[in-house]
Amino acid sequence: MEQEFRSDKSGYMLMNKPGYPRVPSWPNLVWVIFLMMLFITILLWGVSFLAYAPLEEMAEWAKTPNPAKAPWYFIGLQELLVYFDPWIAGVMLPNQILIGLILIPYVDITPTEQGHYRWSQRRFAVAYFTFGIAFWATLIFVGQLLRGPSWQIYWPIIDYDLTGHSWTREGIPLKQGGLKLASLSTGTGMALLIGFFSIGMILPFMVTKLFPKSNVVQGLDRYLKELGYIKYFVVQSHVLMMTATVVKIILRLGFNIKYIIETPWFKI
Amino acid sequence: MSEHHHQKKTPAQKTFELLSALLTDNPIYKSIFRTGYPSTLLKQMAVMRSSFYMHIFPTKVGEHGLRLRYSWCMGGITFFLFLLLALTGILLMFYYVPEEHRAFNDMKDLRFMVPFGVILRNMHRWAAHAMVLAVMLHMMRVFYTGSYKAPRQLNWVVGVLLLLFTLLLSFTGYLLPWDQLGFWAVTVGTNMASASPLVGYEGPFHELLGVQVDNDIRFAIIGGTRIGPNALVRAYVWHCVGIPLVATLLMVFHFWRIRKDGFSGPL
Repeated sequence: MEQEFRSDKSGYMLMNKPGYPRVPSWPNLVWVIFLMMLFITILLWGVSFLAYAPLEEMAEWAKTPNPAKAPWYFIGLQELLVYFDPWIAGVMLPNQILIGLILIPYVDITPTEQGHYRWSQRRFAVAYFTFGIAFWATLIFVGQLLRGPSWQIYWPIIDYDLTGHSWTREGIPLKQGGLKLASLSTGTGMALLIGFFSIGMILPFMVTKLFPKSNVVQGLDRYLKELGYIKYFVVQSHVLMMTATVVKIILRLGFNIKYIIETPWFKI
Repeated sequence: MSEHHHQKKTPAQKTFELLSALLTDNPIYKSIFRTGYPSTLLKQMAVMRSSFYMHIFPTKVGEHGLRLRYSWCMGGITFFLFLLLALTGILLMFYYVPEEHRAFNDMKDLRFMVPFGVILRNMHRWAAHAMVLAVMLHMMRVFYTGSYKAPRQLNWVVGVLLLLFTLLLSFTGYLLPWDQLGFWAVTVGTNMASASPLVGYEGPFHELLGVQVDNDIRFAIIGGTRIGPNALVRAYVWHCVGIPLVATLLMVFHFWRIRKDGFSGPL
């Protein structure tokens, strides 16, 4: 830790060095904060004058809306329910996202790259994080704006004839997927899952051995050496988990595969 | 002051100076605003140190930290929205009782009976959505500028926890209007908990601990086998007392840590 903190030659932040341009907080910072408070208050007031907070009918246990949607910030997880059982989509994945976010500073190997939007030394980290954010935003977009009754895709603008059935009623199909979903046999599924994670773990090392001359691969080689095995394992297992989530979505949408592994106790 | 001005003062200027002297040149004013208007560098330093509200900020800041295109001001916006939510939330508590048969009618009263009830509830609702968005954008800004790196690793961890508590604050508030929207959203959300491995009655391996619908983790969260009056009271208490308390403690640490480490910037 000490070494990381002192990896800069002097060990100090530039702004703490003598001669760095610093200005008194009054009025420079206080002014920005005051304007921000004023701006946010006016904006919020304006929005609240124009748009009512939603209020539907009184809660009723016997009247299930179709679909019943989670708040927008959790709807990505609800959208994942199409592809995973609830114990993965609603419990394991959100926990893993939080753990992964917490671990970010502890797997970092470019401690001096901070304080500016300059990503040339941290291309992989930025690309991985951005993909995660985009993935999360896409799930929210699909779940919030495209999903309608029976959690089917309803495109915006098109006026669908729901014949007044906005509540769930048995025997009245609104818009059925009509898909026959299949699952892989246990052997195939196990082989696929174990194969995916073990090959995924050693793939970067194989690439460095196979194409040692390419510039990109030499960069990868340096990155792997700096990372060390423990940090590599932490990073790569999260990369593989996110990739596996995307692969499962592709398998479900493209090949109608419901489960990769089916056991009496759990299904993946 | 006056020797700087060679021109004669207008009556308006004279009146202004007299009034401001009346206001500021007395022991009561001086007991509150000890340094006077911060017109010199010395007073600018002193005002930041001696004022309770200002001492959360440093006396001097690096110029880069002031640029909005660097910070997006998102951390500050998040905290200010939290303050607005606390203010509007306390006022809403005057008019709202978390009781199954009353909660929804209180919503109707806020809309049609309570003076400024509409603007109060609208502000609380939209500020809550804005805070969730702001906290996410703040996290993205901190990531893209690499500000989570040493020596700020622990503050990033606290930030992730604050993100979680912001989501929980918003989620617990979602149930309180006791309308179909909130009721079913919270039903969907809390049903997820029953899928937890071992501790949820629909989760893998729940049989090992003898976990059933009436003793699993979801039952503990909502106080029943479905969303009902118990869940409403629990959501209310967590929303108004429990989570704000924990979030405030984490925020105190978060801000204190920023003061110690300084605004992030180039090394």
